[in-house]
Amino acid sequence: MTGIGGWPVGRLSLLAGPRGCGKRTLAQRSVAAASLTGPVAYVDFPRRLDPEFVNHFDARLDRLLVVRPKSLKEGMASVRVLARAGVDLICIDLPRTRSAGIDAELPHLLHRVAEADCTLLLIYDAEADDAIRYYASMILAFQRSAWVFRRDGDLEGLLVDATVVKNRLAPPGRNCRLLIPYPIP
Amino acid sequence: MICCVRAPHPSLIAAWLKAPALRGHPLVIGGLAHERASVTTASAEARAQGIVEGMSLNQAQQFSPDAIFQPVDEEATARVRQSLLSTLHHFTPDVAVGELPGCVFLRLDRLVLRWPDRSLLLAAISRAVEAVIRVTPTIGVASSMFVSKIAADHATAAVPVIVEPEKTRAYLARYPIDVLPLDDDLREYLELLGLKTIGRLQTISRPAFRRQFGPKALEVYDLALGDDRRRLRPWRPAVRIEESEPLDPPVDNTEALQFIARALAERVSASLLAQGLGTRAIRIRLDQEAAPPIGIEVRFAYPMTTAGELFDGLRPRLLRATIAAPLERITLRAGRLEAAYVRQPGLLIRRDGFKESIADAVARLQEEYGSSLVQRAEVHADAAPLVDHRILWKPA
Repeated sequence: MTGIGGWPVGRLSLLAGPRGCGKRTLAQRSVAAASLTGPVAYVDFPRRLDPEFVNHFDARLDRLLVVRPKSLKEGMASVRVLARAGVDLICIDLPRTRSAGIDAELPHLLHRVAEADCTLLLIYDAEADDAIRYYASMILAFQRSAWVFRRDGDLEGLLVDATVVKNRLAPPGRNCRLLIPYPIP
Repeated sequence: MICCVRAPHPSLIAAWLKAPALRGHPLVIGGLAHERASVTTASAEARAQGIVEGMSLNQAQQFSPDAIFQPVDEEATARVRQSLLSTLHHFTPDVAVGELPGCVFLRLDRLVLRWPDRSLLLAAISRAVEAVIRVTPTIGVASSMFVSKIAADHATAAVPVIVEPEKTRAYLARYPIDVLPLDDDLREYLELLGLKTIGRLQTISRPAFRRQFGPKALEVYDLALGDDRRRLRPWRPAVRIEESEPLDPPVDNTEALQFIARALAERVSASLLAQGLGTRAIRIRLDQEAAPPIGIEVRFAYPMTTAGELFDGLRPRLLRATIAAPLERITLRAGRLEAAYVRQPGLLIRRDGFKESIADAVARLQEEYGSSLVQRAEVHADAAPLVDHRILWKPA
């Protein structure tokens, strides 16, 4: 779907969309998969990371560093330092209420990330600001599509439409439909 | 090949070095006879009278009324241990401390070019150790730490025991299973089955042993075949680099302190440079006139050697220090010493040629923002139904 076989290395990828449409699910699965090959970090501003969920995908929790910053400055400093130290993938979970001043931090951050060949994912609730959209090399927009029910009437899962609305590395516009099964996984 | 050098307990050697007249007499180390303590070690003469380690001193006196009782001289014991290790470190840097006191392992593989004749090497090791501790050690050479230790236990001071790798299994076969690190249950079980020697144990196949005793006991089985998977962890000689300067008259502002700190940084740097070392942490101690001393630790991302680099790290911390009373003395101590060659200019390496390790990066972040900033999660699925009990958050 991304056209390059995964998340772009050394760049920022943005997962945007309204709440409850699977952004965090996809990001946490990516973190779990990346932890099998190297150190990963999750910058958890809203404290929503569920280690049990990540653990369901056989993640190496000993390689997962969870950063719980009190301010944006702390969080961005952590990302810079960890990227430089050799963490392969960093996922930033940034609520809109805590994002004031990110446009000033992003240029420094992306310089470090590009230098360190680190993959950076940014989960952003609601519509992203212009600055974040500008600096992101890839934007995946998520939207709820439909509930899926079993024949007996029980809820089976949620269908989510994911569209690559911006891609600097391959043609944009690809989309796919993802099923988030309930209970997860 | 691994060489095991066995010497008596360092406390015993320390007592003999202090009073050579004690040799040949029953000597018990651990405390005076009337004290409520246990025997740390005893000389061969005392052992012959039934004294063993861990026995109470009172009981030991009943076994051997004419024995000489002495407390452990911790400082002298540490000196003996250090001198034994540093003597062997001259032969090879691959020296490891054994679990038992007075037991040291050496890896001989890299000494083949320097010492093509192994018997000459072992004789030189024996002579060097004897010159330092005045006791001739017993030496065993084998393919693993476990076998070499057994060989050393059964060697004499004059003749070392060398077990060639292809003869390891046959060599171990003659010994009772007591030489293996068995727990009580397994020992009892093996004895009930009539397996009293390692040779009998070797006749069982590995899958059959695993089926009978479980996967945890396989380690014992492997040792019985001479396969010891423990890694030899090299011992490094302790290096202490510390510089101190009294402040007379006492100084009460941080600006003046910087000049002295700079001079001390230069002295620390010269010591580091002379030994080819770099430091990743400098501990500053500021002794105050009528207040407790102030301790400051400055950490560096990579090993620093030059005075300028050291002072750049020290200066902001000194300026931020809260001084309650005039300072009498400043001490700089270099910690976490590493070889200075770790740092290289990045001509052919990407970026600046240095990558800070993740552990150091985390430590730096925690020092700056608090230990709760970076955490690791542990999931105990079978712990409790409450989420807070199943997920354990720990500082990384």
